This record gives sequence, structure tokens and C-alpha cells, in this order.
Amino acid sequence: MIHGGFPLPDVDWEPTREYFAGTACVACGGTSQTWTTVSGRGTLFSWSVVHFPWIPQFKSLVPFVTALVALDEDPGVRLVTRMIDCAIDHLRCDLPVCAVFRPLRFDGLDGEVVVPMFQPTKS
Amino acid sequence: MGAVDQALALAQRAIGAVGMRPGVEDVSGQIAIVGIGDADHSKASGRTTHQIAAQATERALADAGLAASDIDGLMYVPFSRDQLDAAAFHAHFGTSHELWVSEKGGGMVWAGSAPHDAALAIRSGKAKYVLNTFSVAWATQRPQMIGGPGHVHAEDLYKQNLEVPSGFFPQPVYFASIARRHMHEYGTTAEQLGAIAVACRRHANLTPGAVMRDKTLTLAQYLASPLIADPFRKEDCCLISDGGAAYIMTSLERARDLKQPIIAVLGVCVGSSKSGVYWSQQGDFTATPQQFAAPRSFAMAGLTPSDVDVLACYDPFTIVSLMQIEDMGFCKKGDGGPFVAGDTLHFDSGKLPYNTHGGMLSHAYVLGIAHVTEIVRQLRHEAAAQVKDATVGVFGGYTGPQASTLVLGRR
Repeated sequence: MIHGGFPLPDVDWEPTREYFAGTACVACGGTSQTWTTVSGRGTLFSWSVVHFPWIPQFKSLVPFVTALVALDEDPGVRLVTRMIDCAIDHLRCDLPVCAVFRPLRFDGLDGEVVVPMFQPTKS
Repeated sequence: MGAVDQALALAQRAIGAVGMRPGVEDVSGQIAIVGIGDADHSKASGRTTHQIAAQATERALADAGLAASDIDGLMYVPFSRDQLDAAAFHAHFGTSHELWVSEKGGGMVWAGSAPHDAALAIRSGKAKYVLNTFSVAWATQRPQMIGGPGHVHAEDLYKQNLEVPSGFFPQPVYFASIARRHMHEYGTTAEQLGAIAVACRRHANLTPGAVMRDKTLTLAQYLASPLIADPFRKEDCCLISDGGAAYIMTSLERARDLKQPIIAVLGVCVGSSKSGVYWSQQGDFTATPQQFAAPRSFAMAGLTPSDVDVLACYDPFTIVSLMQIEDMGFCKKGDGGPFVAGDTLHFDSGKLPYNTHGGMLSHAYVLGIAHVTEIVRQLRHEAAAQVKDATVGVFGGYTGPQASTLVLGRR
């Protein structure tokens, strides 16, 4: 449900709810979940440049940057994502970043899904 | 509120913190580890998990001078496949007697916390001689990727859908991102992480049976080796092994009638965090629950980190060693990098001899149980890389959401 300046991909977000079902909030222990609009902006909390393909589907992707992005709205929530369109030398912790929607494809798997990836915020 | 409780209350205010496990009782000086046995540690060997645990148990029984029929308490962890449960124990030894059984044993955090529950069973008369074992055949099973270290994470629905597609998988990537953040917050360097890998390798080079016994590693070689998940190199990561170990516990009174020097359990405690299973969401990202386990365990023992002669910590990655050394109080939080640099961790010249058998990086990846047998060996003064006159040894267990601190002392 990320919108407001970002193109909304043509995907059904509702199924993602099940992945969190039963997962209690680490801050308050609550289990009721709601959809919240966020800006798509955050900071690069940490990352790793992955060189070794631990699963076969990553063979054609390495090296890639897997990243944890702390959302501006609540930095305690971190999206697991990938950094794109950024030189590895420019990566640093707490770098301001913003979401871009890109297709995710894997070798040997049909189709693609559009997911939020992140790039440095243009100043 | 005592000083220890005040410190714990302060530490627990960190986001995601829980603190020590409720219900930990003072068991200091009540039981001893009287028998230890390491199975053969190896790369892929074709052995089964049961065979490995049985071999370790046979060696622990011989070490203690006990028979299988003397064992009336059995600890293992059902979370890992094919552990030596009561049926497997009886099948191997041809016994059928009644066993007190606890599923709060095994490796990982439980390699350090099992003595607490064993002590409760022993002092209440439920068991006299309690055996704790853990074994893996993950090197043999590796081609199928069944039951191995990534298995439990790959089965998690949240990780499958929201972490793995972005390449945040498996554990080397989790902990590489933790190391990256630790470097950012505290200035930790690759050379400092490398010092941990080099010390562990040197100890493995001296230790018979260590998987990496014949492979040396210098800091220059470490720094020249390729990155696999930046900032990690292969040498920052533990092995994948076949192996296991076992240890036998009994009351201090009975221990005096057995043949080995008395290695007493002086302190034991478990600490937890709420979010440890999901490293991506971990509140206290660059810390371990040792910050909760260690203060209480040292207080139970009446000792401080400065009293420790030899330390062994569950070390899946160099950064996990570094964070536990900080969180157990061997140096100030954040100073772990400069602290471990150089020869600090070496058995002969260092001020904190660490993983003196080589740890999971270089000895064998048997999830901490061989760390406990090594600490006992050190306190008996029988280790290969022996720390001179060692009388107090500590094991730090870890699983992510939990950590344990076990303080042992030679009596």
C-alpha cells in the first residue's frame, strides 16, 4: 500500500498479510495489524554485498546488494530489500534511500513479481 | 534491588530486550562435570547422527569410569534431527532402565544451560548421573541440504517470502549485515575480525582431531581471501561438519568418588531477546542476549570476567565471538575490535585465551557442545593448547534469541 509519489504496482497486496499473521509486535506484543501508508523513504540500516550464490537462483544475480532499510515513519521497522542503481563504494550506513518498484526474476522460475527496491535519495 | 539487578534492568530497556530467563535458580557448586567425550569430528563421513552421539557417549562414560546402566538422566534437543533420545540410547547400549529425560539439553544455547536443569534434577533426586549429548552429520547431509544450518530458516514463511527473495539468506548474510553495522557504530575493522579467525585457526592447528588441524591461516592470508558476503570472507564463517560430543554431570558428593578432577558448575544463566529469530528486525542489532545471561551467571559464581582464565563461545561467525566478548563484560561495549586485535585471544600469549580448540570456525561445527568439553579439558589441564594453571573457564552459548553463560571452576 505504498503510494503518494510512487507508482503503485499492479499486484494484490492482501496475500502478504498472511506472512505476518500470528507474529506479535516486537515492541508492544500486539497482534492486530493494519495497513499504513508510508512515504517509501528510509535509511540504509545495513547491507551486504553478496558474492556467493547460496541458492542456485542467485547464480546470475551475484554480486548483488541485500539491504535492511529502516523506514522514516518507524526506523524500528526494517524492510528486507535490495539496493540498486548505486555504486557499492557509495554505500554507507544511514544513507537516505527511497523505494523504486522493480521486477524481481529468478533463473529457472517463470514470471516475475514487482517489489520495492531502494536507491539513494537524490538530493 | 542489587547492583546486578539494577544493571539488568537498565540493559533490558534496550528495544527488543527481554532479559534473563525467569526461574533460574542458584545451583552454584552443586554439581560437577565428571565425564567428557568428543566423537570424531570430520568433514563428510557417511556416519549417522545417532552413531556420532553414541561414540561420544561411549567416550564420556569411559572418561568418567561409568557404565551406560549408571546413566539415569538424559538431555538432548528435539529441535535438531535424530538426537540421542531415550529410545536411541537404549537401542545402542542394550539397556532398558528408566531415564529422567529433558529436552532442554543438546548444543547451541543449551550446551551451556543444560547444567542448570540437570542440577535441579540431581538435587531433587530425579537422577544421579545426567548425560547431555549433541551431534550432527551435516557435512554428510549437505548435498541434500536436509536438516542443515539453513534448513530451519528456509522453512520460515516470513523469511521465504520477505527475506529470501532479496537475497537476505542464509546465516552468513544475516551476520555480515550485523558486522557491517558494528563496523559503522564502533569502528570495528576487517583486521580485528581476522584476528579472531587467526587465533582460532592457530588453536585448531595444535588440536588433534580439529577439522582444520593441517591448514594454517595468517592475517595476511585472511585479508587476501575473497569476500563471500561483504564484509565476510570464508574464514569469518564456521565449518560444516560431522561430529558431536557428550558430557556427564553428577552431584559434587558423587563426583568426589569418581576418577577425574572435580570441575564444578559455579554459575549458569540464560538471557533472551524478543526478536532474535528475525535478525532483520532485531532491536539491539549489534548485541547478543549475553548482556543478560553473563551478569547473573557471574554473580551466581561470585566471580567477574577478570577472574576467567579461558573462554569459549559459540562462534558461527567472527562477529558473534566479538559481540559475546563485549556483552559478557570482557571489555566495554564497542571496544571488542581493539580488544581482540593482535594476540589477545591466543592460548599462550593472550590475556583472554579463547576457543582454545579452534571453535566452530576451525575445530568443528558441532554447535558448542565441544566448546564445553574443551573448557573441562582446560580446567583438568589436559588440553592440547593448554592455558597455564587454568582454574576458571566460561562457555558462552548462543542461538540468536537466546544466550547462556556457563561458569566452570576446578575444585
